[in-house]
Amino acid sequence: MLSRQPGDRTVPTLVTLLVVGVLLMTFDVRSQGQGVTSVLRSGTQTIVAPLQKGAAFVVNPVLDLIDSLANIATLRETTIALEREVAELEAEIIALDDDMARLEFYEQLYDLETTGTDVGRTVAEVIGRPDPLDNALIIDKGTNEGIAVGQPVVDTNGYVVGSVQQVTSGTARVIPITVGADGVAVTVGEQLGVVTPQINDNILRLEVNPAREPVLAGEKVVTSSQSVRFPAGYPVGQVIVDAAPDGAGTLSTLVEPYMNPDNIRVVVILAWPPDPVAPVTETTTTTTSTTSTTLGGSTTTSTTGGDG
Amino acid sequence: MRLRSVLIVASLLLVAIVLQTTLFSQTEVFVPDLVMLVVIILSLTRLRPEAVLGIAFLGGLAVDLLGSSVLGLRAMVFTIVAYLALRTRERADLGRVVIGLWAGLLTLGGVLLLLIVGTLFGQTVLLGDGVVGLLLLVPAANTILAWIFAPMVARFVDRDTTAFRYA
Repeated sequence: MLSRQPGDRTVPTLVTLLVVGVLLMTFDVRSQGQGVTSVLRSGTQTIVAPLQKGAAFVVNPVLDLIDSLANIATLRETTIALEREVAELEAEIIALDDDMARLEFYEQLYDLETTGTDVGRTVAEVIGRPDPLDNALIIDKGTNEGIAVGQPVVDTNGYVVGSVQQVTSGTARVIPITVGADGVAVTVGEQLGVVTPQINDNILRLEVNPAREPVLAGEKVVTSSQSVRFPAGYPVGQVIVDAAPDGAGTLSTLVEPYMNPDNIRVVVILAWPPDPVAPVTETTTTTTSTTSTTLGGSTTTSTTGGDG
Repeated sequence: MRLRSVLIVASLLLVAIVLQTTLFSQTEVFVPDLVMLVVIILSLTRLRPEAVLGIAFLGGLAVDLLGSSVLGLRAMVFTIVAYLALRTRERADLGRVVIGLWAGLLTLGGVLLLLIVGTLFGQTVLLGDGVVGLLLLVPAANTILAWIFAPMVARFVDRDTTAFRYA
């Protein structure tokens, strides 16, 4: 049945392909995924995207149904918890409406204008992931919907997910903060720090330098206003290990992100910075204070060189 | 390779890539590596060994291009897996179960290689969270799929209805 054995040309072919493979890897690492490799990746994604969207259209409802059946036992408890949450959120909305009315009154009173604070949002569905060893997310929105490389991505709760690494006309690839190569500038308490991913681990490492006070487990970590990749104030995760500044005034601890890339089905892409073409010096005027923030480098053309 | 074979192999790879990146990317327990499995199954066919190596390289390259890891990583690993499959395929032709186990072992070798080469290029680490799970789940899923589909796919590619028929 199996009459053919690897012939004399098998080994030379293998060696040739391995050499080509090593050369490709070296070239890709040295070019940091830009240039020719970036074009090749976009081209391949463009070709496969319609098939992926079609498959996701069929597959996702089936997977949702299986999920629902698996979770049917806890459905009643979930409904009660959600009803409680809705009631709390409705109360919060009423309180926020009061605050907004007061805010508008003061804006009119002092003749203030709010500029540059609105961030456009695009909701996208996760249609796939490359393979079991690759945690990137493929989403069903691309340049046709205004998605650009470098834009920040959050989940439906507003938790930071990652940023857009590659974009085609109809799809985009999102690299979660837990697997990307770049760090994110964050605030923990009153201190500024950087969270960086750890290879093959969903836990982030937080470095604070200079550190003035200890960081305690449970403290909330949010994106900093000094971040060039994310707007300020978006929740990243919470500290899971207490840490105190060392002799050199630095502090290092671990942060568990709020989002889990394995369970994400829907994401929100933020059109940030609002004016990506000229992110030079942006002056934001609000009713309570005036801040000047200098944003370095264009985040729409490259994802290299993160906050960290 | 004749045009028909080229079309069949290209279709198989495309279906594997689409299913891999959509359906099986969202399952938590059943996580096969379909492209690697197709490469392994193709080594059972009468395609020329050099062609199988080339297909393995291109299949891996396609997955690399769709993913976020370094370009060439899977291309290289899938080529090595295809070579090992070509060298050992005679031992698999004993029955469906043996074919499944053989494909599972080759997949285990492939995942290990991915982790090792990935570690060398800073893409992953051998001792990270979830590595043990991957080392168990991916080969197990490929074993099951090979047990079910490998003879059928090989017959289809070779257009030989008598191949891989076991009592």
